[in-house]
Amino acid sequence: MTFFDLSRKNAWRKPLRTVLLVVSIAVAFLIYGLTASFLAGSQGTAGASDDILGVTSASGRGQPLPMSLLARIGALPDVAALSYYTRLRGFVGTEKNVVAVSATDIERLLPVSGQELGLTPALIDAIRPARDRVLVGRALADAQGWAVGQRVAVTAFDLPRDDGSRDWRFEIAGIFEGQSASTDTYFMIARYDYVNAARARGKDSVDGFALRPHSGISPSTLAAKVDALFANSATPTRTQSERQFLEAFLRQYADIGLIVNLVVGASFITLLMIVINTMVFAVRERTFEIGVLKTLGFSRGAVMALVLAETLFVFALGGAMGLGLAKLATVLVGSQLGLVFSLPVLGKGLAILLAVSLATGLLPAINAMRTPVATAFRTR
Amino acid sequence: MTEPALAHIDLSGVGKAFRIGTQTVPVFSGLDLSIAAGDFVAIMGPSGSGKSTLLNMLAGIDSPDSGTLRIGASRLDQMGEGARAAWRAHNMGIVFQFYNLLPMLTAAENIELPLLLKPLSARERRLRVDKVLELVGLNGRGKQYPALMSGGQQQRVGIARAIVTDPGLLLCDEPTGDLDRQSADEALSMLGFLNRELGKTIVMVTHDPQAAGHAKRTLHLDKGHFIEETRAA
Repeated sequence: MTFFDLSRKNAWRKPLRTVLLVVSIAVAFLIYGLTASFLAGSQGTAGASDDILGVTSASGRGQPLPMSLLARIGALPDVAALSYYTRLRGFVGTEKNVVAVSATDIERLLPVSGQELGLTPALIDAIRPARDRVLVGRALADAQGWAVGQRVAVTAFDLPRDDGSRDWRFEIAGIFEGQSASTDTYFMIARYDYVNAARARGKDSVDGFALRPHSGISPSTLAAKVDALFANSATPTRTQSERQFLEAFLRQYADIGLIVNLVVGASFITLLMIVINTMVFAVRERTFEIGVLKTLGFSRGAVMALVLAETLFVFALGGAMGLGLAKLATVLVGSQLGLVFSLPVLGKGLAILLAVSLATGLLPAINAMRTPVATAFRTR
Repeated sequence: MTEPALAHIDLSGVGKAFRIGTQTVPVFSGLDLSIAAGDFVAIMGPSGSGKSTLLNMLAGIDSPDSGTLRIGASRLDQMGEGARAAWRAHNMGIVFQFYNLLPMLTAAENIELPLLLKPLSARERRLRVDKVLELVGLNGRGKQYPALMSGGQQQRVGIARAIVTDPGLLLCDEPTGDLDRQSADEALSMLGFLNRELGKTIVMVTHDPQAAGHAKRTLHLDKGHFIEETRAA
């Protein structure tokens, strides 16, 4: 038997109580694991770049910009690569099954964000032969169960074709994987020339431009230069980094980070109160035995360490279960929901586990430590 | 077993009082007591005579308000709580009336408890536990839980736990108070053996004259004073 065995056996003295505690801790860490994975994943902004700039209309992202801006932006000496895009939002099958299509010039996209998206020469070659070909992101392909060679129809919400139909038919030419698990791949890349030629209105306009500055050039300085270029024109622009863009986009709905922190904070405070209460009672029930241990020579510090180790054991079990389940969820549905259980998520989880278990164990541990032997013996 | 440390006990002018609300209730005033190393002393007396308080002071659980309390080379009256706990771990074993075994531990694990405070390997601890289990006649019962043992067996586990660190001093608080006659005699014979053969100094508080008969001498305590001493024939 070791010192830790003694703590473990104390913890399992009332199995039902311990199981309930472990389950409540597991649920709290599952909530943490899922929300933190959500933030770290493509639904958050962790995978967005600070270097890639997006140029949209200052009047709003829904307002188109003329294609003629391309040449003027491209003429800026600080611009290393420049592409353009038009977004096509629609659904496949049912209206709830929303998909996004980014219509662009793939040759121009490659030097801007080809590396981040995981675009390979083979994928570029695959999309070239026909104008209706698309590249589908891994997350979208997995979620829809699509495969290369398959033909899919996207019904556009607000981009009708010139024949009056809203159905856009594409052939899947390849699947791009994304550079890392946190890269957003829940969309498809179509050819701009196809979409532009077939759409009923807004021909030769784009929803925005994406550009990459030369190395050594500050993205924020370049952003200011681009916006200054069109400040007094009919189409003033707003230039932001991809990360700023995504953060602003997500804030349209809510401050996701704040919500996540509030949910996790509330669940941990509740957990803390439940476990402190339970542990205080559990240790109080054993006051007499703590007196026995002290009589055998266990010091105040040793008694305190025993109670803290017991709390740590309960938290380690529950935390491992919760974080394990969160990891399992990211493995099973992570690509569809944009969940990434990264090492920082795990590290922060373990740090929270250690801090909360020590905070929880401190009160009962101090009570146990301070109980005089004679007082402990009177509790029988 | 290694040679136990000598545990000569010397109390001189010890005073002790308890505060109950606003009242101070004196227990001892100027108490003197000398117990030679290797002695086996029974302390008898009516309830409230101070037996348990005296035992608690000898165990370092309580400390005297005045006077000196020396056991071997240690002045317990000058020690803080932490030092007294460390002293107990190395110099003393205690046998309780109700055994006070931890229910979630096996007999062997209960016996091993005091050894966790010593720098011993798991193998050394196991060897020591096996040795004392054999000594108290519980060979092969180490894996049993206390709830499945008789009172006599549990008390033998309690005695084994008290001697597993090989202390020089054994303090026994009514060790036969919860046992039938046969089990009580077995436990007392074991204490006699530990005193005679292994040289343990034993101080036993008891109400039972038959139990006191196993000691070399019996001190009678009343209202905080020793009023009589009898020696075994």
